[in-house]
Amino acid sequence: MSGPPDPRRWERVQALFHELASLPESERDRVLRERVPGDPILRGEVRDLLAGDARAWPLLDEGLAPVAERILASSPVDRLEGERFGPYRIVSFLGEGGMGTVYRVTRDDLGSEAALKLLRDAAFSPARRARFLAEQRTLARLRHPGIAHLLDAGTLADGTPWFVMELVEGTPLDVHLRTAEPGFEARLDLFRGIAEAVRHAHGHAVIHRDLKPSNILVRADGTVKLIDFGIAKLLWEDGEPGGTADLTRTGLAPLTPAHAAPEQLRGEAVGIHTDVYGLGLLLYQILVGEPPFDLAGRTSAEAVRILSETEPPRPSGVANQASGGSGTAVRGVSRAQWADLDVLCQVAMHPDPGRRYPSAEAMLRDVDHLLAGEPLEARPDTLTYRAGKFARRNRGTLAVAGVALLLLVALSAGYAHSLIAARDTALAEAARAERIQQFTLGLFRGTDPDFAPAKDLRVIDLLARGVQEAHALEADPGLQAGIYLALGEIHRQLGELGQASELLEAALSLRERRWGLSHPEVAEARVALGLLREAQAELDEAEAFARSGLDVARATLPPGHPALGRTLAALGHVLEARGQYDEALLLVEEAVELHRAAGAASPELASGLGQLSNLHFYLGHYLVADSVSREALGLHRQLYGPGHPAAAGDLINLGAIQFELGDAVEAEVLFREALAIQEPWYGRRHPAVAANLTMIGRALVRQERLDEAREVLLEAELLARTGLGERHPRVASALNELGLVAQLKGEWAEASDHFRRVVDLYAHLYPDGHYYLGVARSNLAGTLQAGGDPRGAEALFREALEIYRAFLPPGHQLEGIAWIRLGGALLAQSRPGEAEEALLRGRGILASQGASPAWVARADEQLEKIGTAVGSTGDPQAGEMR
Amino acid sequence: MAHDRSALDDLFSLAYEELRRLARRVRTEGDGDTLNPTVLVHEAWIRMSASPELGSLSRVHFKRVAARAMRQVLVDAARRRNAGKRGGGASFVTFDEGLGAADGSVHDLLALDRALDELARMSPRQASLVEARFFGGMEMREVAESLEVSEATAQRDWRAARAWLSGQLGGKG
Repeated sequence: MSGPPDPRRWERVQALFHELASLPESERDRVLRERVPGDPILRGEVRDLLAGDARAWPLLDEGLAPVAERILASSPVDRLEGERFGPYRIVSFLGEGGMGTVYRVTRDDLGSEAALKLLRDAAFSPARRARFLAEQRTLARLRHPGIAHLLDAGTLADGTPWFVMELVEGTPLDVHLRTAEPGFEARLDLFRGIAEAVRHAHGHAVIHRDLKPSNILVRADGTVKLIDFGIAKLLWEDGEPGGTADLTRTGLAPLTPAHAAPEQLRGEAVGIHTDVYGLGLLLYQILVGEPPFDLAGRTSAEAVRILSETEPPRPSGVANQASGGSGTAVRGVSRAQWADLDVLCQVAMHPDPGRRYPSAEAMLRDVDHLLAGEPLEARPDTLTYRAGKFARRNRGTLAVAGVALLLLVALSAGYAHSLIAARDTALAEAARAERIQQFTLGLFRGTDPDFAPAKDLRVIDLLARGVQEAHALEADPGLQAGIYLALGEIHRQLGELGQASELLEAALSLRERRWGLSHPEVAEARVALGLLREAQAELDEAEAFARSGLDVARATLPPGHPALGRTLAALGHVLEARGQYDEALLLVEEAVELHRAAGAASPELASGLGQLSNLHFYLGHYLVADSVSREALGLHRQLYGPGHPAAAGDLINLGAIQFELGDAVEAEVLFREALAIQEPWYGRRHPAVAANLTMIGRALVRQERLDEAREVLLEAELLARTGLGERHPRVASALNELGLVAQLKGEWAEASDHFRRVVDLYAHLYPDGHYYLGVARSNLAGTLQAGGDPRGAEALFREALEIYRAFLPPGHQLEGIAWIRLGGALLAQSRPGEAEEALLRGRGILASQGASPAWVARADEQLEKIGTAVGSTGDPQAGEMR
Repeated sequence: MAHDRSALDDLFSLAYEELRRLARRVRTEGDGDTLNPTVLVHEAWIRMSASPELGSLSRVHFKRVAARAMRQVLVDAARRRNAGKRGGGASFVTFDEGLGAADGSVHDLLALDRALDELARMSPRQASLVEARFFGGMEMREVAESLEVSEATAQRDWRAARAWLSGQLGGKG
């Protein structure tokens, strides 16, 4: 490859290539020499392209199939046999599923067998890794004879996570029903075993969400084990006769359409009621031998219609029909028992989640009543009562809660490492975090983050429901406080600051009551409130909360604890908002050192470095900011791979630093490198792309490539407007640059149009008195002045000055510049006396700081016109003396 | 912004897993089917289109994501193969960029992957186009639609990109 990638040069080479390719071969060289007389390297590149065009190239021209065939042909999976993971050695491959690959392993020292699951290429996708670790954490805390439990976990040197769980030898439930044809009581025992395992999971706020026969194994002694979704179905796939209605092999973890509750198919919130539905389906299948709905070949829309519009099925009718033939339905059930079983299934599988059994526990009680010959708690006539008792669930399609989801992933991310490093001590904490995450994730599952703005009313409804459900958790104040905290942080992210405040205050008071004032959980809640107050612009209180949180954290946490790092970063953030960069820098440096000392590359270290880089940037330490950003970039690439948007963010920071350092060319290269990551990731129409295009536009303006800049900025403005709304700071910043381009080109009318829109936008976006309002006026005034309207310009400069003087520290650079510009406007109106006064004031401010020499020179020039001589060094006191 | 990333990441993961599973199935059941990525991507769409997780995502959009996932599936497989050949143990990504005596297909694919990264730095659109065509088997019309350019522009972009890649990679063969 020749030199660094250069998009402009590539455009040029391509244009020449297309032109020459259309000419007869004999003329190409002549024309090429005409077009590019002075650049033999460029000519060489064009010739290479023509040669490449003419060459047949099997790889691209004949397609990928033969290459793919050879690369995928030998399964790397098989080569792992004999490999060791801690004390375990791989014996054989068991299956590959949605969330990892599973092997049979033995422990050499004990001779015992187990199942090992690992996630390949984990570094590649943070989401897959997060899900894998979530499954691991879920298993870590579930301890029930009906659930395959976790034995060990670890990470390979390359970051590949693995865990070992109990190896379950057994038959999938549906196969068992067909082959063993158990009697009525044995069948109800199977169901009880499943329901008790599910109840245990619910007791830990874990929702299985994918209950189906192939995820349930029946062991030789007749007991059942629930195995997790994803892998399980593939583990046993080979032994499973392929039923046509069985959609499990679509393999779309974590949802299996044939076993999904209607609300799952509708994309609505999933919760305990979803597993109750799954239990109803299982009971039906246990009794009848077949699933109630034939959804083979249906699209999910059709399936939703069938499930929502069809009466919940009565197992009695089907079983009685089947009992005449060769079905696997249960026999020997009395008429009265069938009546009760119908009620059990119908209530559990009600299309309206609010009308189902409220818990697995309630359903189990009715199974006991049935076996004891007692009346059920749920009777069809109580369904209406139930409906009143449980709020009707929102049936409309729910939109988006992506921000919240992301936040939740972030909340739990910190636990991944500790689980492996110190499994036992971290378990309790991880379990709690996971319960909270599961609870809240349950609220959002199935929502589609791709659509609608984050602050969607329906999301708020969803959260309101979560808050309501959390209120009911009085029996476990620790969990309740944790959920208040998580929900409070989500509300903060959504900008619902009032509600966030109530939740976080409730979390803090619950925790203070429980733990006293000095406890890490109290510190965590204080810090969360501190960040909220920062968002509410209550900076005094923000700082007080964050500081007291840090004091408690320092007193109660061991040095080097990741939570301490988060606390330091939070106070750093608050102080950054206060403009106290020096102290913020110390705190964030401490946080970074802490995360660095933990050894491994962590997302927290990377984000701490990002924060550090920003602080150095604000403090004007551009070179330090540059090296810190580079480290963050290296880390993000290591954590997520080179094509991840986190790396793009670092590249943009690096570009901004180069821009400030005056190297607009290098800045542009960096911005474009970021764009090459963002575009394939987000697509072109994305606000992040818009922001970056604006930066590219600025870099082009600085390079005086005005036409290109205008093209890029127009696109940025359009993207920002369509993606973020008419009134958004990004729209304003693109317009501002467009105004600058027009001004530099001398197109005054267009420039003032743009700047006028910026003035309007800022008036909506920022509070009265924000200095941006002054900057926008000053820019507009500049174009009016240049366009021959010094009177209009004067009025705007004066407004800008009023804002600066009221809201910026005295003697601010912006004020100095505005005085000088006002002087120009006055001079143009032939008011030399006033002009002189304004110019001297501005000059005095700037010269005393050694700032903006170009404006000082401009002032001198104009003062000279007026005829006032000023010494070349100037008089620093001039401003004040007036 | 951030939430779109997580959604895309999820979608990408789903596509990645599905493609791997399909590839594995073809490989193990191997009744003469070839591992044709275009077919795999198409099949992944058919299987996943009924899923609520895809929402109202268009086929063209899905295919672009899937093309990217297909590329990654192949690159990962190639790297693992390479690592295996070099005696790499249970650590999967201990591959070395210097390719020595690696098998031709692995070499070709990894070289193409790197060249595409390089192309992306000059023109992200052209790199996307090649990726969609080559790894996703997308028609020129579909690619043009998803990149929001005319078909003629897509055609021109393709020709120049192909010529450039051929110059970078094909010259040795």
